[in-house]
Amino acid sequence: MLKDSLNASSPETASVTQTPPKAPGTGRPGAGEKTVARILTMPGQLVSLLVLVAPLLVALYMSFTDWSPTRGSLFEAEFVGFENYSELLIWDTRFVYAVLRTLLISIACLSLEFTFGLGLAVLFMRRFRGKSVLFSAFLTPMMILPVVVGYIFWMLFQSSGPVNQIMECILGPDVALEWFKNAPLAVTAVIVTEVWHWTPLFFLILLSGLNSVPENPVRAAVILGASPRQVFWRVIMPMLKPVIIVAFVIRAMEIIKLFDEVFMLTRGGPGSSTETISLYIYKLAFNDFQLAYGAAAAFLTLIGSLVLIHLMLAPVRNQLLEAGR
Amino acid sequence: MSAPKLELVDLVKEYEDGAVVAVDGINLSIAPGETVALLGSSGCGKSTTLNMIVGLETPTSGDIRIDGKSILHLPAGKRDVGLVFQDYAVFTSMTVKENLAFGLAVRKTPKPEIERVVAETAELLGMSDRLNAKARELGGSELQRVAIGRTLATRPSILLLDEPLSNLEAEARLAMRRELRRLQAETGLTIIYVTHDQIEALSLADRIAVMNAGKILQAEETTSICERPDHVFVAGFLGSPPMNLVRGEVSRCGETASFSKEGFALDLPPGAHLEPGRYALGLRPEALRLVPADGAPLSGVVSLVETRGSEAVVTVEAGPVRLNVIAPAHGRPAEGENVGVDIEAGSLVFFGGDSNRRIEAYPAGRTL
Repeated sequence: MLKDSLNASSPETASVTQTPPKAPGTGRPGAGEKTVARILTMPGQLVSLLVLVAPLLVALYMSFTDWSPTRGSLFEAEFVGFENYSELLIWDTRFVYAVLRTLLISIACLSLEFTFGLGLAVLFMRRFRGKSVLFSAFLTPMMILPVVVGYIFWMLFQSSGPVNQIMECILGPDVALEWFKNAPLAVTAVIVTEVWHWTPLFFLILLSGLNSVPENPVRAAVILGASPRQVFWRVIMPMLKPVIIVAFVIRAMEIIKLFDEVFMLTRGGPGSSTETISLYIYKLAFNDFQLAYGAAAAFLTLIGSLVLIHLMLAPVRNQLLEAGR
Repeated sequence: MSAPKLELVDLVKEYEDGAVVAVDGINLSIAPGETVALLGSSGCGKSTTLNMIVGLETPTSGDIRIDGKSILHLPAGKRDVGLVFQDYAVFTSMTVKENLAFGLAVRKTPKPEIERVVAETAELLGMSDRLNAKARELGGSELQRVAIGRTLATRPSILLLDEPLSNLEAEARLAMRRELRRLQAETGLTIIYVTHDQIEALSLADRIAVMNAGKILQAEETTSICERPDHVFVAGFLGSPPMNLVRGEVSRCGETASFSKEGFALDLPPGAHLEPGRYALGLRPEALRLVPADGAPLSGVVSLVETRGSEAVVTVEAGPVRLNVIAPAHGRPAEGENVGVDIEAGSLVFFGGDSNRRIEAYPAGRTL
């Protein structure tokens, strides 16, 4: 609409702004109009440049220094090149373990969330009573603040908390576990919390994926003699592949940054046995004031997750970019 | 006629507890190796019929028999019936080869057997060099060949095709039409086409069953169905342009009968076995001829002339009645001209005013 009205009034505009006249009715902005458009959007672009790119560049610079806020200005700090990076990768076992731990938690959570989400989605493809109520109920966890979820599960997993009480009811007395005082149990608690919190996302994405699977290939497979199981695994799942991978990518991007729930549940303990990358960087920056070192860790994480996400997207990259070719 | 391959017996399909009747008691029997077209506009029940034959829907009542045995208790996929969808429904995540092998693979057929059948099928459809192509990358007619091949590989004795040509471009349509004919000749399959396109039906099938509102109105050889439609709907549906239909009354005055409608009258040739009453008169455009206005049985003003190649469709307004006449393109009249219309002997068709069924006004043996 706006473009049309601009075109309609172009003769007058041309005489005022001295832009060269263009062929009428082409519907495309001429060279003059493009210049005007660039000038007009310049302030917005400058702001976004300042807000987005500048801090990133400052942090990148910081990661090559030994700066700490207790030691004066950033620009007076010593430039140490890749020292922070080599320190992190070669000597800092705590960082390497945090990376491995985050990956382990991610793999466990994603596989469980996918399995439960898919199961629920398949269930919701059928008709049953109370479906819409259950639908709302199953989506609720996703909408709760991570900090609140962390707090709720912190209460649930207390040694005298409901989880232990229920276990005692079922398995008999003296099975109460000290969830936050034992490394494997603490990791388990983190995984349970994450899975509860984010299974709804998989459920929602997979359900909408299942709903958009075209009907006829499924019917064709049935007529060709495939059993329901064969139809599901050989026809429906391959058609869902792009959706599944996108769901994994979205969740992977989030869980690599896992912080809030762990912070509320264990603060990384016992020891550093549940420390994730984000939590470690947080401690570096705000407990130890090693901001430069923390920045280097953050950039390594960014590079690592970029590579990971691209690898995950590789199998469906062409398919997703197909439209419009 | 030999024992029928497929029989539909009083087949009924109702939805919403009888509120909607999609298929309303159809009977049809199809001989082995015959090709039949189910022709009708959308919503006439032809796709529902197809789905019931293949087992995707259960009939409300009636029976479906193959080789004389009811197949209603068999689930889809065990009925010896194949279906090719209008949108082909090819498995896009698989290669051509995997598509062709699908039906056999899910039946746990041994590998060498699958290899052999896939190679044969690909050969039959001229796709041997495309076996490793991704189905996603195929074009329209190739997709259709894969869809047909995938079905043929499971060796059904009856093949159902839903609008087989409608998604193809003109050139591919012609080629596929020839190919389907050849395929039928080579495999001896019994084929049912479902289509809304009469050209498709006329060019592919031996016999056409015209459906409307859940009923089969007429099932007859393609060659005779256009000339001798049994029902007003069939008459008004088939042909391009379809038969001219005029609703009016027949009255008698001694030996001569005449057909009239306000502002339109036609003396009928002698010997009409028609009781006075309401009828629908059918005049095929091909059986009408333009003549000078004087002394012609009908006359009127030309309101529209559409040329199509060597012939023209001339619309003549004869009083309140609009008649389409097919005339040679050269020497066609101008719009606004007064013309007479002559009727080819023996081409008048009458339908009952209420029953809409054809009435033999001139029993065989008599000429007009």
